[in-house]
Amino acid sequence: MASARLAPHASALTASGTRFLPFRALVSGPLREHPGHALLALAAIALGVALGVAVHLINSSALNEFNLAAHHLAGEADLVVRGPRAGFDETLYPRIARLPQVEAANPAVELEVPILGKEGTLRIIGFDPLRTAQVQPSLLPERTAEVAELFAADSILLSPSAARWLGLDMGAALRMMVGTGVVEVKVVGMLPEGGYRQRVGVMDIATAQWRLGRLGKLSRIDLRLKPGVVVTAFQRELQNELPPGVYVATPETDAERGASLSRAYRLNLDMLALIALFTGAFLVFSSQMLALMRRRAQFALLRALGVTRRSLANWLLAEAAVVGAIGAILGLALGYAVARFAIANFGTDLGAGYFRGIVPGIHVDPVALIAYFALGVLFAVLGAAAPALEAARRAPAKALHAGDEEEGLRGVRTTWPGIASCAIGALLAFAPAVDGLPVAAYCAIALILSGVILLLPQFVSGVLKRVSAPRSVPAALALAQLQATPRQIAVSAAAIVASFSLMVAMLIMVHSFRSSLETWLEHMLPADLYLRALRGGETGFLTPEEQNRLQSTPGVERIEFLRSQNLLLASDRPPVVLLAGPADSAAMLLAIGPTVIPRAGEPPAVWVSEVAADLYGWRTGQRVQLPIGASSREYTVAGIWRDYVRQSGAIAIDRQLYVNLTGDALANDAAIWIAPGAALPDVERALRERLGNAQGIEIASTREVRANSLALFDRTFAVTYALEIAAVLIGLFGISVSFGAQALARRREFGMLRHIGMSRRGIGAMLGWEGAIVSIFGAAVGLALGWITGLILIHVVNRQSFHWSMDLHVPWLPLAALAAVLAAASIVTAVWSGRAAMSDDVIRAVREDW
Amino acid sequence: MAGLAATPCVFSQVTLDQSRRTSHAGAVTPFAPVVPGYTMRFPHDEGSHPEFRLEWWYVTGWLAGAGGAAIGFQITFFRARPARRTANPSTFAPHHMLIAHAAIADPARGRLQRDQRAARAAFELAGAAQGRTEVWIDDWSFRQQGERYVATVAARSFRLDLVLTSTQPPMLQGAAGLSRKGPRPESASYYYSIPHLDASGTLTRNGSTETVGGVAWLDHEWSSSYMDERAVGWDWIGINLDDGGALMAFRMRDPTGRSFWAGGAYRSAAGSVQVFAPDAVRFTPLRHWRSSRTGANYPVSWRVSAGGREIDIEPLFDDQENDTRATTGAVYWEGAVRALRAGASVGRGYLELTGYWRRLQL
Amino acid sequence: MLAIRKLTKSYGGVRPRTLLDDVTFDLAAGEYVAIMGESGVGKSTLLNLIAGLDVPDSGSVTLAEREVTALDDAERTLVRRNHIGFVFQAFHLLPHLTVAQNVALPLSLIGAAPDEAGARVAEMLTAVGLSRAGASYPRELSGGELQRAAIARALVHRPLLTLADEPTGNLDAANGAQVLTLLRAEVKRNGGAGILVTHSATAAASADRVFTLASDGLRLRN
Repeated sequence: MASARLAPHASALTASGTRFLPFRALVSGPLREHPGHALLALAAIALGVALGVAVHLINSSALNEFNLAAHHLAGEADLVVRGPRAGFDETLYPRIARLPQVEAANPAVELEVPILGKEGTLRIIGFDPLRTAQVQPSLLPERTAEVAELFAADSILLSPSAARWLGLDMGAALRMMVGTGVVEVKVVGMLPEGGYRQRVGVMDIATAQWRLGRLGKLSRIDLRLKPGVVVTAFQRELQNELPPGVYVATPETDAERGASLSRAYRLNLDMLALIALFTGAFLVFSSQMLALMRRRAQFALLRALGVTRRSLANWLLAEAAVVGAIGAILGLALGYAVARFAIANFGTDLGAGYFRGIVPGIHVDPVALIAYFALGVLFAVLGAAAPALEAARRAPAKALHAGDEEEGLRGVRTTWPGIASCAIGALLAFAPAVDGLPVAAYCAIALILSGVILLLPQFVSGVLKRVSAPRSVPAALALAQLQATPRQIAVSAAAIVASFSLMVAMLIMVHSFRSSLETWLEHMLPADLYLRALRGGETGFLTPEEQNRLQSTPGVERIEFLRSQNLLLASDRPPVVLLAGPADSAAMLLAIGPTVIPRAGEPPAVWVSEVAADLYGWRTGQRVQLPIGASSREYTVAGIWRDYVRQSGAIAIDRQLYVNLTGDALANDAAIWIAPGAALPDVERALRERLGNAQGIEIASTREVRANSLALFDRTFAVTYALEIAAVLIGLFGISVSFGAQALARRREFGMLRHIGMSRRGIGAMLGWEGAIVSIFGAAVGLALGWITGLILIHVVNRQSFHWSMDLHVPWLPLAALAAVLAAASIVTAVWSGRAAMSDDVIRAVREDW
Repeated sequence: MAGLAATPCVFSQVTLDQSRRTSHAGAVTPFAPVVPGYTMRFPHDEGSHPEFRLEWWYVTGWLAGAGGAAIGFQITFFRARPARRTANPSTFAPHHMLIAHAAIADPARGRLQRDQRAARAAFELAGAAQGRTEVWIDDWSFRQQGERYVATVAARSFRLDLVLTSTQPPMLQGAAGLSRKGPRPESASYYYSIPHLDASGTLTRNGSTETVGGVAWLDHEWSSSYMDERAVGWDWIGINLDDGGALMAFRMRDPTGRSFWAGGAYRSAAGSVQVFAPDAVRFTPLRHWRSSRTGANYPVSWRVSAGGREIDIEPLFDDQENDTRATTGAVYWEGAVRALRAGASVGRGYLELTGYWRRLQL
Repeated sequence: MLAIRKLTKSYGGVRPRTLLDDVTFDLAAGEYVAIMGESGVGKSTLLNLIAGLDVPDSGSVTLAEREVTALDDAERTLVRRNHIGFVFQAFHLLPHLTVAQNVALPLSLIGAAPDEAGARVAEMLTAVGLSRAGASYPRELSGGELQRAAIARALVHRPLLTLADEPTGNLDAANGAQVLTLLRAEVKRNGGAGILVTHSATAAASADRVFTLASDGLRLRN
């Protein structure tokens, strides 16, 4: 047994003791001796896994909550009939209930209702508890008495989370804002803990219709079918009977439609996490590679002593697996903790507003956790594989010589795979969306990133070759070192390239988005003041009489009212927003592309948002069938406009036409131009007085609206910034690891330099130069790559996920500043990593002889 | 009387609690009182009386199929009105509420098969007509057609389609249809029964339909203020005597389990009626059965003496407990019974035992 | 030129020990001496103290009239850079520099003009017999060649003092002898002083005088 030769006192060892000698020599020994290296690799894997797990947990918890909530709502329903926000005529209910295939029909009114003194809205569901008992019994309180309370006028039951959110208990009064006024109802009980998971208030359907201004209207009817009825066949049959704009869907489709809004957002987050994990993998790779390289001489000795190639490689891979496993477990724990913290503090949508009203609870999917664990171990083993195999393959005698590290990397041929990867990536960037998701674009980004990293050594040596030696000795030494080791630089720079390019891409994308949004807001907000009846909710409105009063307010030059409703155009898509505004609204919308104004006799004009055009495949000039009002009829798409607000699409129509079609003369918003000479605050006060200082009225100046919109935008992207920072930290960490490893490998060199009269500062400067050069490469390549990635994000990913187009705006100054900060950080990192090299210890290192 | 047990507590809660909900909208509903001197008219009074708070049509009876084995059945429709009137113009406004219970008592199963429905009277999906018997909730209904009643119940575990034909005129309970339930004159109801209804039709269970026939008893009762405040529950029997006579007797129990009021009537086949004074009716339990589901201990076997007559009451089987918590919040015993005199069967009917699980909450 | 007075150095730690106790020693320009002693007796420590890489507990080192032991680290580094040349047992050529670049390193550090430096390097490489190996990288050289290149580097900036620590430790006898001859010749040619630290009597024989370092101090060996 080869290992026996390693131990001078082998005879004193038991058989089992000798068996693990290679392990001691290779793994536990170095681990004990330099726990820092193992810790770095450990931390790299832990960080990468943690990030992935955290984002995954947050996303899957959100989705799980959403599905659970939707599932509970649907209960035992076989089908759900749903209409637009304005609802549909309630006489549909008895018609459907009497169909022979229908066992039970549960009608409901559903509204988002603003609550006095509370930010955000409460979803109010008005149902018939007696019908609910037939279709969704789990939604009802166990105590019949509480159900009974519902029949009393102005009673409401709250879900536990709603009660907590509102801070209300039994018997308390809940003040809901309807129209421009306040409706007070009494909390008569609590819904069961296991029923509604969202923030929900439940009222009797009659009370809800009356108090929330929905007389004669229903939002949905849940159906349970008689045994033996074929659901799909009946669904088709029923759909034909339904009025335009009302759809019947299975509860699953209904739930998916809700979740589909956030799908692209969730995918984007997942992708960011994966990119972070990917960056982490580079870090693992570089730290493993450099750590193993540092020990090449030891491996060579072991090989010389008779350890076989295979067992050497196996032991090294085993070591990596152990480190990976420990790191992955730490990562799982950390990720779980981060997810818990984030969910508890920001909600499952991390503040983006997709899962409003859903009570966060962490959902742990063991399969996914195992997958992330495996991924962590895999990355660790992969990171170690190349250097481990190489170390084992290397002729022992050569590896004993110093300066052989670069040799170890020389065998890695990367040019052609790199070019191929970039080429395929470039092609994929032009591929269409897969199932509405920009999967190909993400593959393109990954391939281009990998390709560029593979081409990095070639690029680095090509550039450095052309640089002549500077006068400064530290700089010259640094350059010589780097010129001689382009592959090592590539390894060091890879993590920085990956993370920095990601950051640059996101910055370019976010900045472009924000700039486009600002332009858009300017365009969309031409008036001086905006008045809104109940922000966010679905119960606010201005009656025609109130509109007249506002119209004649002194100081008002022009006022335009806007009615916001929605239309269901497909059973599996969220409703499209219908905006009924001034006849010249086309001028106020930010149109893109040509416009067509229909001639007399042609169907009337509608302006559709880019999202709607993308989702429903509409083109300018096309005639489309829309269920506005009682019947469905044709309209001409007069133009397509950019809309960054309504993610499921929007259609703008002349309000006069809308009123004629629907008889709905209510308005939600008003845009107010003030007369010359009138003071904004005076007009605002006058407007309020006109409405009797009603509490449900919100008036904001254009500036405030704009500021609020941008603040909301920034909040939505806050999490993205956090992920970017994490990725860049991982990148810097990578630089630190590789520099640290290299510095340790070069201790004797530093010792010699100290002997021949180089100062500590000089060595520090040399390391600083090396850091600077590497980070300049990292930053430059990262910047270029980030710009390309940013283009893909803007023109492909965003377009395909959200159907929003935007203009490219590159934030040069922040990017330059960021690159400078990055360079500074990596210089500091490099010097800091090399601080061991500047200790007196290196003086003794010259006497180490291997 | 039967059916009082199932008085929809969905509204009763509101009634009891009036004091603490003064802030709520809606005025107290001015219910019509039950006062002496009312003359019942038929078929007018067979229809709904919406001005009263509570009303029910309650059919119980014995059926037998081709095999001859006896099965009990119960079909009940309640109409109830909230204590507060609402100004709500919504079509869904709960002006009236309808609840239906149905149960089959098959000794072969050993317990009731039952189902229940509840709906507000809206969109003609549920309702109670005036002027004739016609109450329905979705596809459950009880309708008068001339001298006959047609009952249709599509329950989850069975379907019952019956035609009930009158063989005797209505039997006005109490004083010409005014039946007092306690010492206070206001706790009373208008109440008539139609005993000895000839029942025929079909019973569908487990996919197979059998023709059934038998004898039934209809109670129709309406009131606005029913229970005396002392009442915990009551015991009631309605028996079609084999000789063509009909016997109804009830007693109201206080918290100690003692009777504080009783009543009833006997009508002979020839039509002579004997109305019982409160002290002329005595219920003596002979045997108890305890429900393992609810723990309630029901006296399922009785000796009842009323106006000098004495009969023993013996259930078709013991477990005829009816759990209607989902619609009324009550659990009670409502079952097919035989009337025996000296060990020999003299009639068949139904026994109702309320307030044994918990105090009956109205 | 080099004056060492009462130099004392001890190390703490788990097993505190005094390595140098009251060492006094003088060296004149042109002198080439050897210091022998058993392993661990403090030979290398003595070299480190002379070169200003370590500080003594007491006593002084004076090189070219400057008291090295009284200087701070930066000043000691300058003294080392300008006046001292080093030859190591393990050669220590920078792997990523050519032999010529390695030899030129001390000149670069003192800021010599490039053309002057080039000529001086060529001269030194010729002197050590590596005139044709200047463009090679250290990995292409044999051990003896590496040490000859190291000698060229040690003397390229004409140091007052050349310190060689077991320069033949990693070489075979033939190469070792050649290196010793070369080292002596170059130190003499340079005109400065040289100290050869070795435990080999054969190696020590190449010096003018041989001192023995033991626990009781440094003394001249006859």
